[in-house]
Amino acid sequence: MENPFSLAGKNIIVTGASSGIGRQTAVSCSQMGARVVLIARNTEQLNMTLSMMQSPESHLVYSLDLADLDGMETVIKDIVGKTGKLHGLVNAAGISTTLPLKLISNEKLEEFFKTNVYSAIQMSRLFTKQVNVSTEGGSVIFFSSVMGIVGESGKTLYSLTKGALVSATKSLALEFASKKIRFNAVSPGVVVTPMSQNAVYSKDEESLNRIIALHPLGLGMPVDISNACVYLLSDASRWVTGSNLVIDGGYTAR
Amino acid sequence: MEAKFLEQFTELLERETPVTLEDVFREYDNWDSLAYLSVISFVDEEYGIVIPREEFGKMKTIKDIITFIAANS
Repeated sequence: MENPFSLAGKNIIVTGASSGIGRQTAVSCSQMGARVVLIARNTEQLNMTLSMMQSPESHLVYSLDLADLDGMETVIKDIVGKTGKLHGLVNAAGISTTLPLKLISNEKLEEFFKTNVYSAIQMSRLFTKQVNVSTEGGSVIFFSSVMGIVGESGKTLYSLTKGALVSATKSLALEFASKKIRFNAVSPGVVVTPMSQNAVYSKDEESLNRIIALHPLGLGMPVDISNACVYLLSDASRWVTGSNLVIDGGYTAR
Repeated sequence: MEAKFLEQFTELLERETPVTLEDVFREYDNWDSLAYLSVISFVDEEYGIVIPREEFGKMKTIKDIITFIAANS
């Protein structure tokens, strides 16, 4: 039987590929046969990801600040010129924080929406252009979070942006269904990554133990999320769109 | 740094009178877990320093917090 999860022959863009889940998603996609385009700001870290991938020579690396819309357009044009039309987009770039309401300024709101929402929406806009996306259709993944579904004291900023992505997923799924471009979100619980390890709650044992206890299966690993991305990018999920795949070790089961 | 810090803390902890270096912050009538979270987040945002809970547990006065920040920045 042909592997239904194969990504052979697919060109897939992964943003935030310099670290954490984005990095692992790039690696997993390469192992499933995809040609991957890695995007993030840090070239050194991108090259590190590249070195972890299967057949590194077949992938492309672009150092880009996703706030730079003009830069984004130029890069997408360049990518399509080199790889041909695109089949997948994984918007893994994102930031997190723990900040009580009294410290949430408009500047903070803008910073979070720009990084977590605007860049994913603009990348999707460029990806879905007729000149860029495969005529067979495509798959776009937004990285939401369990914090897009449930709350936690001090996580308002993060929750706002992650919830926005879940909402966007549904309308975009409908808007692009006729073109066979699917939109889905993944919502991880706490995964062991540099981002979560830098979080306030990871810096002391008591908070960390509390967070671990909230996940019946313990904390996740990046590969737990990248495997789901492989599924959503592959033809195995051809009938899946507008969904939010929750991968949280049981965090939201309570 | 001290004057600005005291001003920001007065605002952060919603004190009606300006906080002073000698204030024992846990004796504030509105001190609670959210106030704790606010202080930790504020210091992280403003100074890029995460105060470990154990260290914070040893602090008694506003001056202790400032001293910790100064020693770790």
